[in-house]
Amino acid sequence: MSLRIGIREGVRTITRNASLFLLSLLVAAISLFLLALFSLVTVNLYKSIELLDEKIEIVVFLDRTANVNVLEENIAKINGVEEVIFISSEQALADLKNELQDTEEILNVFEENPLPASFRVKLKSSFRNAKGLEEISGKIMLLAGIEETLYGGELVDQLKRVTRVIVLFDLGLLLIIIFSVIFVIFQTIKLTIFARSTEIEIMKLVGASNGFIAVPFTFEGIVQGFIGGIIAFLLTVVTYRVAGFFFGNLYFPHWWFLLGTILGGILFGLIGSGIAVRRFLK
Amino acid sequence: MRYSGNIGNRVVDKKRILVILNLMILFDKVSKIYQKDWVALQDITFEIDKGEFAFICGSTGAGKTTLLKMIYKDEEPTRGAIRVLNQNLKDIRKREIPKFRRKIGVVFQDFKLLQDRTLEENVAFSLEVTDTPPREIRKKLMETLTYLRLSHKKYAFPYQLSGGEQQKVAIARALVRDPYILLADEPTGNLDAKSSEDITNILLDINYRGTTVLMATHSISLVKKMKKRMLRIENCRLVQDK
Repeated sequence: MSLRIGIREGVRTITRNASLFLLSLLVAAISLFLLALFSLVTVNLYKSIELLDEKIEIVVFLDRTANVNVLEENIAKINGVEEVIFISSEQALADLKNELQDTEEILNVFEENPLPASFRVKLKSSFRNAKGLEEISGKIMLLAGIEETLYGGELVDQLKRVTRVIVLFDLGLLLIIIFSVIFVIFQTIKLTIFARSTEIEIMKLVGASNGFIAVPFTFEGIVQGFIGGIIAFLLTVVTYRVAGFFFGNLYFPHWWFLLGTILGGILFGLIGSGIAVRRFLK
Repeated sequence: MRYSGNIGNRVVDKKRILVILNLMILFDKVSKIYQKDWVALQDITFEIDKGEFAFICGSTGAGKTTLLKMIYKDEEPTRGAIRVLNQNLKDIRKREIPKFRRKIGVVFQDFKLLQDRTLEENVAFSLEVTDTPPREIRKKLMETLTYLRLSHKKYAFPYQLSGGEQQKVAIARALVRDPYILLADEPTGNLDAKSSEDITNILLDINYRGTTVLMATHSISLVKKMKKRMLRIENCRLVQDK
């Protein structure tokens, strides 16, 4: 079939039943919006888990006799250590003053700086758990000049368990939403095709091939997915702005979401119309 | 059986080679049984030759529509063989059906026109599905609409036309593709006496120009007036062929 007729028939399919088209467009837009919104939540959940994970570290306090350079080198050599950051006692005091702000007079009771120098030891991601922390901390304790190490231990594992449950729950919900979106879009397209069953019957009667019959509906599905995707994206942007007031800065990669909603819309439109037409033509 | 040896003789047209076959339709002991025990047609055997005009008579529900549907492969026979245009219908695969149907025109009691398209678009549509070039479509449209005296209403929508006119559009849609066979299922069933006569005369004229016409009707009086071949179906069986 020539492209000209295909597009003409597709446009006709849309304009002729404008209300039905708008209805299914609305359904597609809202479904995609739900999906985008949930993806936004998921992306931010992952981001914050990642941030949290990066914060898992060992703080190593040094005694006053310690040789900083040698120790730093030796700690960095330990398997599982990613980065060692030295914080001198002066730096620690400055940080503390900064944190205390108005009540820094408290520090005046000390004649000299009471804070020891320390290392912040960052771990490779596979060591960011209770076992890894314990193992590396044990190795650090064996080095000369170490007074104490501090790390979360069991707490880290508990936190990890909780985040794992949240992630699983989130993924499960995402899956359910994806299936419902496909189902709803499919049902809506089926509805529009049922509304045109007489037309399809006549087309078959005059010898239209299945491809000829399917093209306008596929075209409609693509257009619907495209416009629905854009609407869904705009709604997501609005929600993101509103949510920004309450939750502060959220992570929202605009271009990926725009691409995702449009491609997702087209894909759902294609799948939905494909299945519906195929079923009807049988 | 006559069809066994008769392949048909080739006639070379100016632009295309037309295979003209003497035998258009053949039913060989055809039965159609729906859902185990509901018999629609039983042991139907008949032949329709090229250029013939035949009525299929029978009361409502006798199986006329089923018989026609089996010719354009909308229904499959439960038993027996059907040959149409020298093709065993069993050998036509599903995806070849559209191509096969383009050689057969079908007209219905309820016209089956696309309501949101003009008369002209309805007729042109049946050419567009076959990838006919636009110039050729315009030419065929003009010919057909002129022949059926519909040209002056080509921009009218079906609901703006009378029943007789709508049926003419349906005939135009079938005719515009030069079908070998024209099937008409109670084409006058929804029409008044005058329009019925008009439509029947058009079908006769189409037949006179060479197309094989098979018309189903429950009106015996109409058939008797026409003095054409009649296949009469009663209680699912072919009881008369004269």
